Amino acid sequence: MNLENMFKKKAVRTRMERSQAESRPEVPEGLLKKCNKCGGAIIAREAEEQNYICPKCGGYFRIPAYKRIELLADEGSFTEWDMEVDTNNPLDYKGYTEKLEGLRKKTGLREAVVTGYVRINGIGAAVGVCDGRFMMASMGKAVGEKITRLAERAAEERLPIILFTCSGGARMQEGMISLMQMAKTAAAMKRHSDGGNLSINVLTDPTTGGVTASFAMLGDIILAEPRALIGFAGPRVIEQTIRQKLPKGFQRSEFLLEHGFVDEIIERHNLKETLGRILKLHQSDNAGKVQEDHPAGRTVEKPDVKAEAGMKESCRYQDIPAWERVQISRKADRPSGNSYIQALFPDFIELHGDRYYGDDKAIVGGIAQFHGRPVTVIAQTKGCTTKENIERNFGMPSPEGYRKALRLMKQAEKFHRPVICFVDTPGAFCGLEAEERGQGEAIARNLYEMSNLETPILSIVVGEGGSGGALAMAVADEVWMLENAVYSILSPEGFASILWKDGGRAEEAAELMKMTAKDLLGLGIVEQVIPEPEAFSEETLESVADRLEAEIAGFLEKYTALDTKELLKTRYQRFREM
Amino acid sequence: MIQKILIANRGEIAVRIIRACREMGIGTVAVYSEADAKALHVQLADEAVCIGPASAAESYLDMEKIISATIVTGADAIHPGFGFLSENDKFARLCEQCSITFIGPPSDVIARLGNKQEARNAMTAAHVPVIPGTKEAVYEADEAALIAEQIGYPVIVKAVLGGGGKGMRVAEKPEELKECFRTAQKEAEAAFGDRAMYLEHFLVRPRHIEFQILADSFGNVIHLGERDCSVQRNHQKMIEESPSPALSGELRERMGKAAVDAAKAAGYVSAGTIEFLLDDKKDFFFMEMNTRIQVEHPVTEWVTGIDIVKEQIRIADGRKLSYSQENVRLTGHAIECRINAENPEKDFRPSPGTVTDMYLPGGKGIRVDTAIYSGCTIPPYYDSMIAKLIVWAKNRKEAIYKMQSALGEVVIEGVDTNVDYQYEILHHPNFLSGNINIGFIEDLEQSREEPSVQ
Repeated sequence: MNLENMFKKKAVRTRMERSQAESRPEVPEGLLKKCNKCGGAIIAREAEEQNYICPKCGGYFRIPAYKRIELLADEGSFTEWDMEVDTNNPLDYKGYTEKLEGLRKKTGLREAVVTGYVRINGIGAAVGVCDGRFMMASMGKAVGEKITRLAERAAEERLPIILFTCSGGARMQEGMISLMQMAKTAAAMKRHSDGGNLSINVLTDPTTGGVTASFAMLGDIILAEPRALIGFAGPRVIEQTIRQKLPKGFQRSEFLLEHGFVDEIIERHNLKETLGRILKLHQSDNAGKVQEDHPAGRTVEKPDVKAEAGMKESCRYQDIPAWERVQISRKADRPSGNSYIQALFPDFIELHGDRYYGDDKAIVGGIAQFHGRPVTVIAQTKGCTTKENIERNFGMPSPEGYRKALRLMKQAEKFHRPVICFVDTPGAFCGLEAEERGQGEAIARNLYEMSNLETPILSIVVGEGGSGGALAMAVADEVWMLENAVYSILSPEGFASILWKDGGRAEEAAELMKMTAKDLLGLGIVEQVIPEPEAFSEETLESVADRLEAEIAGFLEKYTALDTKELLKTRYQRFREM
Repeated sequence: MIQKILIANRGEIAVRIIRACREMGIGTVAVYSEADAKALHVQLADEAVCIGPASAAESYLDMEKIISATIVTGADAIHPGFGFLSENDKFARLCEQCSITFIGPPSDVIARLGNKQEARNAMTAAHVPVIPGTKEAVYEADEAALIAEQIGYPVIVKAVLGGGGKGMRVAEKPEELKECFRTAQKEAEAAFGDRAMYLEHFLVRPRHIEFQILADSFGNVIHLGERDCSVQRNHQKMIEESPSPALSGELRERMGKAAVDAAKAAGYVSAGTIEFLLDDKKDFFFMEMNTRIQVEHPVTEWVTGIDIVKEQIRIADGRKLSYSQENVRLTGHAIECRINAENPEKDFRPSPGTVTDMYLPGGKGIRVDTAIYSGCTIPPYYDSMIAKLIVWAKNRKEAIYKMQSALGEVVIEGVDTNVDYQYEILHHPNFLSGNINIGFIEDLEQSREEPSVQ
């Protein structure tokens, strides 16, 4: 039954006319606003109270600089620096001075960036926050000057820098003076970094042009807010130039993460906590010494000496054929690199990307505390499920993976953090794309740089140590192996196929190749073998993790005590003698 | 003066409000989601505005869209009905800020009564009895035993972080208390990792008795008697009646006075309901206050002769109550059965779909509030209640006969309904004798599950 227009509706207006005094319903100015992401009407104050996030679609709005500082800083800890710095219209550009004056009145800002000192969870830092309301936070002389002064003062006071970027790029009204700010700020960042200081960038929507191409991309750690537009050339300019429609998500934070330029995307409500953790891991009095209490680390009892001896015995005398060990090392349920990170470094912060091309999921890297000491952890890892294995490319790293590892090692060197590597790969990825991007070069570069990296390196082969792909993370002060891990020049199948033209004779090859932990301990390739329980899997990882934890603690104690010269000499000799 | 009301709701309550407005000469604006384009309330209203897709969050719960629809259509008041935004203090505040009359209490009153602890404190201050219990967490059994003495047995021990019956124990007598406390606490610690416990006086199989009140903005508050809503399943009411077979005239007077005191204590304005639990010793305790029109308002309308929706609109328009307490007389007996599109055989699973054919009863003493019609669609996105069947007769016995007869006439084809289930309840000996409490349906379900012993 269709009821449309079926009902009689005689409008009986028996009511009196509205008197003049009564107020007509209306929405007061500023009560509601339209979300520029989803188009929905929202209560303006509610969005502001929720970190400037649309309550309907979760879209992020831009935050005024002082609000951002308020969200970030410990209460009352902010001191503003260089408030007086402004620009003098160097090109005498018509109307520019008036425009600046107008914006100053409207926004209450002197220029497009606010700088100063804050404490975050009690740790001091120099902070710079761009404010998009002021000429889209474009960088002219004043912005460049304030960022430069911030970096200089932070270098002098040995403070970390946190820069919240949001900018349309260089300020056109100041022409070449603006362009020069890119060089000036980059130079100041370099000086700050060379002093061994930390800098963190937080890229917010939008970060483009000359700011992306200078101080925004130079941090040791680059974080981004979700879905922020980040790029050099703006999307409209690109579309007009190449006359093509750009793909969805192009130049967004997620795109940059995938392409290796962003360490991590952080939701706004987690930002303060994440920054606090990163700062804590870089506190200078933290580096290079073990703190007595280590609340964030695992608490573990020293392994029972007798049990330990028992396990060692079993390892030494357990007679398992090499081929069987090969198969154990490849088992699908065997813990891989990532499992060890989870088990040994509960406060691990993953950092992504090689800063050139991509983020390889076959290698996981980041920073963590180990017994109160900051360390860099890098692990080759396979997946637990087929889906994850495809994502992680079955543990076969691409050049991006090795370059990410190297980037994190160089960072560890800068902050005097020991490096702990977990090796588990069938081999470096063998494919067209890997060759195009220089797989050989990437491996070679790691061998070259690791040989002289000025911080202790420990590598532990936990599964398959597949040739050069493994060695690119095993030029270390010590290399250890798990009892059933293998480490070889080639897979036994490949070996048999090359030498005997018969891949089927892999079992025989495995024996001859001397690739088991026991064999390699004998050859002096590895320093230590860590025993495994029978039926080793995630469920029985605990015993191995406990043992590793104690051994790693011993390694760190021993090697961080050496002076750098001696450390490097010993590492050089370790390989020199082979 | 209110000229045009936007009804921020759907279904039978929207229809109910539109009818009241029309009788009062007030213009009506319906809002609807895309799923409700052919719904009855849309056809009955003077104007209708589509406010978004089927999901309630993007339509009937979207405050900003409803405000915009109000401004655009030039309505000057919003009636929120029940459910959706009806008890949302943020929405009421938004209306206040936009000079739209919200037909309900002021936003701060909604906020205060919506906060369990604050409401409890206000009632205690007004000497309205609340269920005795601890305000602070208790950790030790010895301390719990002392508190239990003050509260009065039986006592229920509950985990502060509790839920799903875990960490919950009832102690009938003092001898059992410490053991109960320790067991519940152990469970709580295992389940929630927390040892904090509450203690509360335990009511054995209480009745749900609620009082309808009306309060105007001049401080006049009256009550319209009670409704007995003890027939409920998982806190969802199924049958409501007025008066309650459990109340004497003297008890009604005492509870009515407490309800009026409670409303006054809360600074209440508009129609509202005070819910009480009444135990087997005829002691009653404040549970909560509902700050909206309720589903079961028709039973009160019938025994008092007062149109509650119209009174609610008049109050919102700033007028004085049309009745004083002395004018309110309860005459006869009214019963309401909720008809839901659901399947009682399949754990009351909702049964949306198209009503292919239907026949609804009528005649003297029978009222049907519904928004369904032959060929209409019941969308799966909203509440499954599709009709309310209300009867009135001289006394309870006759009202029950009338309801039995009326339920027997209901025909709804195309979707499953609970009509047969209601019919069964209306013949249950305990219902007939008025011997019911809030455990009634649970017992009925259990007896249906257990095979009968010959």
